[in-house]
Amino acid sequence: MMKVAHSICPSCSVGCGVNLIIKDNEAVGTYPYKRHPVNEGKTCRKGRECFKIMTENRLKEPLIKEDGLKLSNWEDALDTVASQIKSYPSHEIGILVSGNYTNQEYETLKKFADALGIRNIGCHTGSVPSSNLETVALDDVEKSEFILIIGDVIKKYPLLGRRVILAQENGAEILAVDEPDKTLTGINSQEYIQVESASSIIDEVDDIILEKLSPQSTVLISNLESEDDFEKIVKFFEQSDAKIIPVFQDCNSRGAVNILPVLSSDDMKGMLERVKLLYILGDDPAPHMMESIKNLDFIISQGYLINKTTSISDVVLPGSCWAEKTGSFTNTTGETQEISKIVDAPGAALDDQIIIKKIAEKIGLDL
Amino acid sequence: METQFLLAKAKDKELAKRGECGGAISALFKYLLDQGLVDGVLNLRQGVDIYDGIPTLVEDSEDLMETCGSLHCAPTMFGDLISNYLSDMRLAVSVKPCDAMAIRELEKRHQINEDNLFKIGLNCGGVVMPLIAQKMIDIFYEVDPDDVVKEEIDKGKFIIKLKDGSHKSVEIDELEDQGFGRRINCQRCELKVPRNADLAGGNWGAEPGWTFIEVLTDKGKKLVKDAKKSGYIEVKIPSEKAIGMREKIENVMIKLAHKFQDKYLEENYPDTENWDEYWNRCIKCYACRDACALCFCKECDLEKDFYNDENEVVPDPLTFQGIRMSHACFSCVNCGQCEDVCPMEIPLAVIFHKMQKRYRDKTGFIAGVSEELPPLYSPEKS
Ligand SMILES: Cc1cc2nc3c(=O)[nH]c(=O)nc-3n(C[C@H](O)[C@H](O)[C@H](O)COP(=O)(O)OP(=O)(O)OC[C@H]3O[C@@H](n4cnc5c(N)ncnc54)[C@H](O)[C@@H]3O)c2cc1C
Ligand code: SF4
Ligand code: SF4
Ligand code: SF4
Ligand code: SF4
Repeated sequence: MMKVAHSICPSCSVGCGVNLIIKDNEAVGTYPYKRHPVNEGKTCRKGRECFKIMTENRLKEPLIKEDGLKLSNWEDALDTVASQIKSYPSHEIGILVSGNYTNQEYETLKKFADALGIRNIGCHTGSVPSSNLETVALDDVEKSEFILIIGDVIKKYPLLGRRVILAQENGAEILAVDEPDKTLTGINSQEYIQVESASSIIDEVDDIILEKLSPQSTVLISNLESEDDFEKIVKFFEQSDAKIIPVFQDCNSRGAVNILPVLSSDDMKGMLERVKLLYILGDDPAPHMMESIKNLDFIISQGYLINKTTSISDVVLPGSCWAEKTGSFTNTTGETQEISKIVDAPGAALDDQIIIKKIAEKIGLDL
Repeated sequence: METQFLLAKAKDKELAKRGECGGAISALFKYLLDQGLVDGVLNLRQGVDIYDGIPTLVEDSEDLMETCGSLHCAPTMFGDLISNYLSDMRLAVSVKPCDAMAIRELEKRHQINEDNLFKIGLNCGGVVMPLIAQKMIDIFYEVDPDDVVKEEIDKGKFIIKLKDGSHKSVEIDELEDQGFGRRINCQRCELKVPRNADLAGGNWGAEPGWTFIEVLTDKGKKLVKDAKKSGYIEVKIPSEKAIGMREKIENVMIKLAHKFQDKYLEENYPDTENWDEYWNRCIKCYACRDACALCFCKECDLEKDFYNDENEVVPDPLTFQGIRMSHACFSCVNCGQCEDVCPMEIPLAVIFHKMQKRYRDKTGFIAGVSEELPPLYSPEKS
């Protein structure tokens, strides 16, 4: 049994199409998906190797902490989760979700939080702020006459970078701004401006550049360290006629911010210090926020990956990765694309929406 | 074996109707599956529309109904699909000349076992990239690409059939002059009849409702004979005139390919400065290597530590592309896959094709066709 099935690459926000090669219900490779409008069968290495996500470091069984994480079962794990959630007032409960879930999962999670009156909920998007973003067609990037790029888009988001290359082949002028001495985007641009820090980017935008920011121009903004800088830069360019594409990190960060609050690193830290019980889906704050995490009484981790945060959790619920579920992702330009279930989740792992609903049921909520 | 020309059609009415010409190719697949002579058939199924060709492994002959017909906007490659994922099966596979060429090179390198494979060839005038096809249908035909239910290349025209049954056509020359039409490597491709397969089916020289078949190996001959005896296909002998006409069209196409080779490998060949620009873009994603059937080493030299320049902004083209070139270019079959998948739009196939052509002129070694390995092939790689 071998089949080739259409999917979307889960590894960044560009939303490339990939074909998965499935042999005996297991993804064993990828195959170019040439009909896909985002990338025409081209992918970067992460895209081509995305099938490995399904097998590497997978969580397969529910785990409960009793001096160390021990193998458990759904009944016990869900009972524990439900009784713990019930034992805290809603303002002491926090929900943190990564940008890798489907739009439908965000909706379900929002309902769940609303039903419990939980206000501490959100998605940490790196540094991209929420704003009323317009949808920009990738084809428009390619048709731009002028493109201003902040961050190393060609290297980090190659299939967005490709549109820049195509625009340049069509005669567009490319201007890159970034901090390092040299970047891949920089050497492929007509002009590269090195800045000392993100906060000085706006100072570099002189009248000559401003004039070029016509409706036929595009500004790509990525890789900024702080939300403040991002916010300022987005606001600044929003005053021009240029099309603006803030480049999110995860495959559905943009979908998440359409539905849930955005958390900056500070917001997230604040939340970790404010609440006592944290229900965390997909995200892994442990490596960079250990101090704040120490303040928590109880951590419920849900996801498909074993990571630092799951290893310090009290209950671990094994969820599904993208090719094991049906729903949609919204890419960084605002395009919503369907994904469908192609393989079964391994072991006892369940569809994430089902897990959320089961918890709700145990608590006695009707979602 | 002396070549043999036939006209064939499927005896099964549904296959004959759904097939591109006489449905003979599908009928041969059905025979092989029904008789248990193969475990599976690897061919193409139409996905959401005619621009969406999906490689499919058919194990039940009933499912062949879904894979009938030619998809001209499906630049697929079966060579590495077989060697990587299906080498444990006895297979029949529909092959365009480039598929057959890649498979031949893989057989020589012991990555595919010839005895496990029926190579059912399709003549090929070239394929169009799916999105290019949609764009050109919109621009040149002024038709909504979603309204097209069938496409075909005939007599130098790209012909589309619409939902309402009407047809529209545009000269391929006109499309290609403007940067549309077939992939550029297809324009240069000179193997139009896959004589490296067991047989080659096509519409050239065929009467309506029939598939013209050139039988090329003893295996192909036996297959046609047995399928006929078992009532899967009906066969008749084509007229001398039809055979002559087919040959004439083939020669015109080969001549055209030579013209395009001159254009893309000589006149318009990028100069050093252009190449510097192209290599500057390379993100070292290995897509070109992974798509190339000839790059099959489990431990690729490109990933050995001493070439590792992860921290460089761009890989040094001499080490990165140079190694791949030294390993693969003599055997390049000009399938265009490396170029199709390069996210940085680097016209890779022209280099490899140009090198193989030069090598071929010097040594007579024709990649994908010659029975032996290229004279300079280093055994370390097998
Ligand atoms: C891209 C393309 C270009 C062609 N150009 C010519 C030409 O210039 N001159 C000529 O004489 N004949 C050409 N043919 C062959 C012709 O269109 C018919 O496929 C052939 O005559 C067999 O007809 P049939 O009715 O017996 O095939 P069918 O019974 O319809 O079977 C065709 C088989 O080919 C498979 N297939 C379809 N598309 C592809 C593809 N892109 N790659 C690999 N397998 C595929 C199908 O899945 C099916 O199994 C071309 C075919 C293709 C796919
Ligand atoms: S650019 Fe992003 S979406 Fe596209 S293949 Fe690479 S990681 Fe996947
Ligand atoms: S390279 Fe040749 S055989 Fe392959 S699709 Fe193009 S024209 Fe056909
Ligand atoms: S080098 Fe490119 S064109 Fe040549 S065989 Fe490999 S993938 Fe095909
Ligand atoms: S596919 Fe293109 S970008 Fe990727 S390694 Fe090859 S040449 Fe470089």
